[in-house]
Amino acid sequence: MTKTMRFLLAGCGTLAMATAASADTVRIGITQNNVGIDSYQTTYEQAFIAAADANPDVDVIVLDAGGDVARQISQMQDLIQQQVDAIIVWPTDGQALVPAVRNAHREGIPVIVTNSNIAEAGLDFIAAFSGPNNIQQGIYSAEMMCEALGGEGEIVQITGMPGYTTAIERQQGFDDRLAELCPDVVQLDIQPGDWNRERAQRTMETFLTRFDNIDGVYSGDDNMGVGALNAALAAGRAEGMVFIGATNFAVGYDAMERGEYWGSVYQSPVDDAEAALQTALDVLAGEDVPKLNYFDTPKITQDNMAEFDRPVF
Amino acid sequence: MLDRLKAGGPAIARQGILVAFIVFMIAFTIMSDRFMTADNLMSVFRQSAIIGVMALGVTIVVIGGNLDLSVGSMLSFATVLVVDLHDKIGPELAIPVMFLATLCLGAVNGFLVGILRLNSLIVTLGMLSVIQGLVLIYSGGQNVDIVDQQGTWFALFGRGAIFGIATPIVMFGLMALVFHVIMTTMPFGRRVYAVGGNPTASVFSGIPRSRVVFTTYLISALCVGVAAVMLGSRVMGSQNNVGQGYELQVLAAVILGGTSLLGGAGSVLRTVLGVLMLAFIQNGLILMGQPYYTQWLVTWAVIIVAVWLDVAAKRGRLLSPIA
Amino acid sequence: MTPPDTVKESRPVQADAPVEQALPQGLEETLPRATADRIRPLLDNPVLRWLVRNPIWVFVLIVFVFFSLVSDHFFAARNFQNILVQTSTIGLIALGMTLVMVNGNIDLSVGATLALAAAFAVDVQSWAVFATWGNWQILPAVCLALLVGIGLGALNGFIVWKTGVDAFIVTLGAMLGIRGLVFVYTGEQSFYAMNFAYSDFSALSIGPLPALALIFLLCTLAVHLLLSRTVHGRNTYAVGGNREAAVNAGIRVGPHMMINFMIIGFFAALSGVLLSTQMGAATPNLGRDYELWVITAVVLGGTKLTGGKGDIIGTLGGVLAIGMLRNGMNLMNVPAFYVYVVLGSILIAVLFLDKRFNRTADGGLRL
Repeated sequence: MTKTMRFLLAGCGTLAMATAASADTVRIGITQNNVGIDSYQTTYEQAFIAAADANPDVDVIVLDAGGDVARQISQMQDLIQQQVDAIIVWPTDGQALVPAVRNAHREGIPVIVTNSNIAEAGLDFIAAFSGPNNIQQGIYSAEMMCEALGGEGEIVQITGMPGYTTAIERQQGFDDRLAELCPDVVQLDIQPGDWNRERAQRTMETFLTRFDNIDGVYSGDDNMGVGALNAALAAGRAEGMVFIGATNFAVGYDAMERGEYWGSVYQSPVDDAEAALQTALDVLAGEDVPKLNYFDTPKITQDNMAEFDRPVF
Repeated sequence: MLDRLKAGGPAIARQGILVAFIVFMIAFTIMSDRFMTADNLMSVFRQSAIIGVMALGVTIVVIGGNLDLSVGSMLSFATVLVVDLHDKIGPELAIPVMFLATLCLGAVNGFLVGILRLNSLIVTLGMLSVIQGLVLIYSGGQNVDIVDQQGTWFALFGRGAIFGIATPIVMFGLMALVFHVIMTTMPFGRRVYAVGGNPTASVFSGIPRSRVVFTTYLISALCVGVAAVMLGSRVMGSQNNVGQGYELQVLAAVILGGTSLLGGAGSVLRTVLGVLMLAFIQNGLILMGQPYYTQWLVTWAVIIVAVWLDVAAKRGRLLSPIA
Repeated sequence: MTPPDTVKESRPVQADAPVEQALPQGLEETLPRATADRIRPLLDNPVLRWLVRNPIWVFVLIVFVFFSLVSDHFFAARNFQNILVQTSTIGLIALGMTLVMVNGNIDLSVGATLALAAAFAVDVQSWAVFATWGNWQILPAVCLALLVGIGLGALNGFIVWKTGVDAFIVTLGAMLGIRGLVFVYTGEQSFYAMNFAYSDFSALSIGPLPALALIFLLCTLAVHLLLSRTVHGRNTYAVGGNREAAVNAGIRVGPHMMINFMIIGFFAALSGVLLSTQMGAATPNLGRDYELWVITAVVLGGTKLTGGKGDIIGTLGGVLAIGMLRNGMNLMNVPAFYVYVVLGSILIAVLFLDKRFNRTADGGLRL
């Protein structure tokens, strides 16, 4: 307790000095979704801070909403209160953030949405969006699934945390594209894995008991995909089963190298973070920034994986 | 209406949870042909072992008259620690170090609740938050992974089998038996019941109340350590929030098993029943093709009805005497 | 914020206090006799006397001064408005939780109730029936949402009353079940209010006070009066303090507890509605873990889990303490990982200090 307080005092001391020293630097506040829930978000945060540190003209205030919409709205208010020059927000929910973004807009603070986009009604109030296209990622995964199965088969899907935008958009992209591209691939069931490897493993175990034949598994990210793979390996049924994920994790990359995992979508949190910061700086510099800045998230499969570095997370 | 059940009435009425359990098993067997298969049963047993082992420890804490809500984040802590250390210092050192650290957290709980006599609900609620922070600070928020998943003997605990039965099931079963024996035949068990049943009287009869409560928290932490070994070995990796929400599932299982939150009453073996009940509800409903949230609705009803029957049997009448 | 000395008069405990000022027993025992003798006269000062009896407000003051000194942005009218709006969510539920906990019960289902009420409030306004109502379509939606909250509270209360099962267990079940209902109702999707008038409400200000803060303060005052000035309030203490005596005194304990559960259901729903106006939307995961924060705030405010003791002034202090800590740490850019540790440690430390300095009797260890 006393140690923590001492830490805090030390922390705010340096903070006060840092703010006092900077006159014409820009101050950017960021409120993230849920750092620590998985490595992607943590690596994003580290990359963001590193990028900001590397630029002497930037001061950042880094906050985390812990997955709670209400807390994120509070943090938006706190950032507006501090009159930062720009706010970067990684929405916990694309729709619920609209009024908060509108408030910032009214106060004349430009808002840059990062990673997962805000609902359409909010697009008028943001300066720009920077991040991956989650629906497109779902589409990519559907295309890989279709290709790997040769157009027919029975698959199951493990989604992210119910109710979260990224989970919803990936599922939407996957479902729509799959139905359109190869209607002969049947989805047996869809259950959530909560972005959690152990829960995905449990979900997959139940799928394996329930269905005698599963040709493919689509998971909302590789972390869950590897959980599903674990379950199939343990049941001795992984042979010939196609595993497709999204957000390529190091564990997914390794499994791909071993030939157990078919493919995923390559998405670098470092690119994501740097793109967000750069977009914010461009907006502040008065440049003409397009509204939607998708950074590239290519398909990664066993065939082309040599072109990609092993993810750091 | 069954307004009055005789106090010594049909033994079956006092086994609300057992009745509910049997009803559900029959219903699921009828509704899904996949349910009553050796594969499925084994898979449910294996899945419930982690929550089960934690529930054993929490049962003892609750019998002692306290609560432990910190087990969820303690599980995250222990799992992240053992998985992270596995590749750094090897499993033979990682496991004891993890147990030591986890027992320390248990000792903090035990000290605050047992020695300082602070309210256990609030203490363990505070610890839930503190430990979650500690995990994140330790790992820097990164997932941890075991690189060589095939080559390590650590795989035995979550993925291996002993005499053809999956290790987690064996460990869960053994621990349940040992705890059952401790709680029913050993002096320590009697002391826990005494302290939970009537703390003031127990002090007068010379029972070291503080030490008993302290020890129950150590046992709870020990169980979390065992669960962490099984979980880490099963997943061969860990996220920082892997145990989030486990505290409530564990508590629900303990309550379903008929352990009274007032302390002094309850049984380790019936907690096993509570754990299996929750696991089978979840498994059965998914096998029937129900969306996952149906299990929450069913659990709601089951918890209330099972505990109600239990309470009703004890007081000898169905409805509460409260005016 | 209400200045402490004006509120003092209305506290029931004050009326019972002995004329000769004595330090709390724990403080008396802990401090050296000379020091105790030296500080006892200080209690003649009503403000100091009030603070000694309400340690959470001492803590609130410390936190307030601390953040005012170290953060450039903390001490500002605008920020105080923010804090009030931010704490209104937890704060409204905490008002109801105080009643339920003084009763010796607890309600773990409030987070889920909040989510269901928010979903109703946002969804019902877009029902075709109300399409022609203009902005008035918000009215039936909000009413229905509040009714849902009261209904769920009544259900919890009724089960506690009739079955005699511990409220902790009943509401733990309800917490899972009601969250299930939220997912059934919303189909896992977020609802979105088409009418911007709905989300504009949260930006409304009356004088210097944002509407949400005003509602929170008015409700605080109302529940304070309910608990300290009415028969229902007296019964609440009586039922929690000694249930048998309460029964003997002719209080119908069952319906009484049910009313308090309906009140907390109402406040959880109101909190959900107000939160959804801030978002112009309702999400199925809304309010997760809120029950834990609410209980934390109420306990920080000095309400005992064993029942019979606690008041709204303390709860307000507990709520503000958490709200200011969160706000201040945000302003100071404290890393999220440390926020968990700080909040948890403070909860345990306050519990410890409360026990040490404000002790009346041993016990209070159990539910």
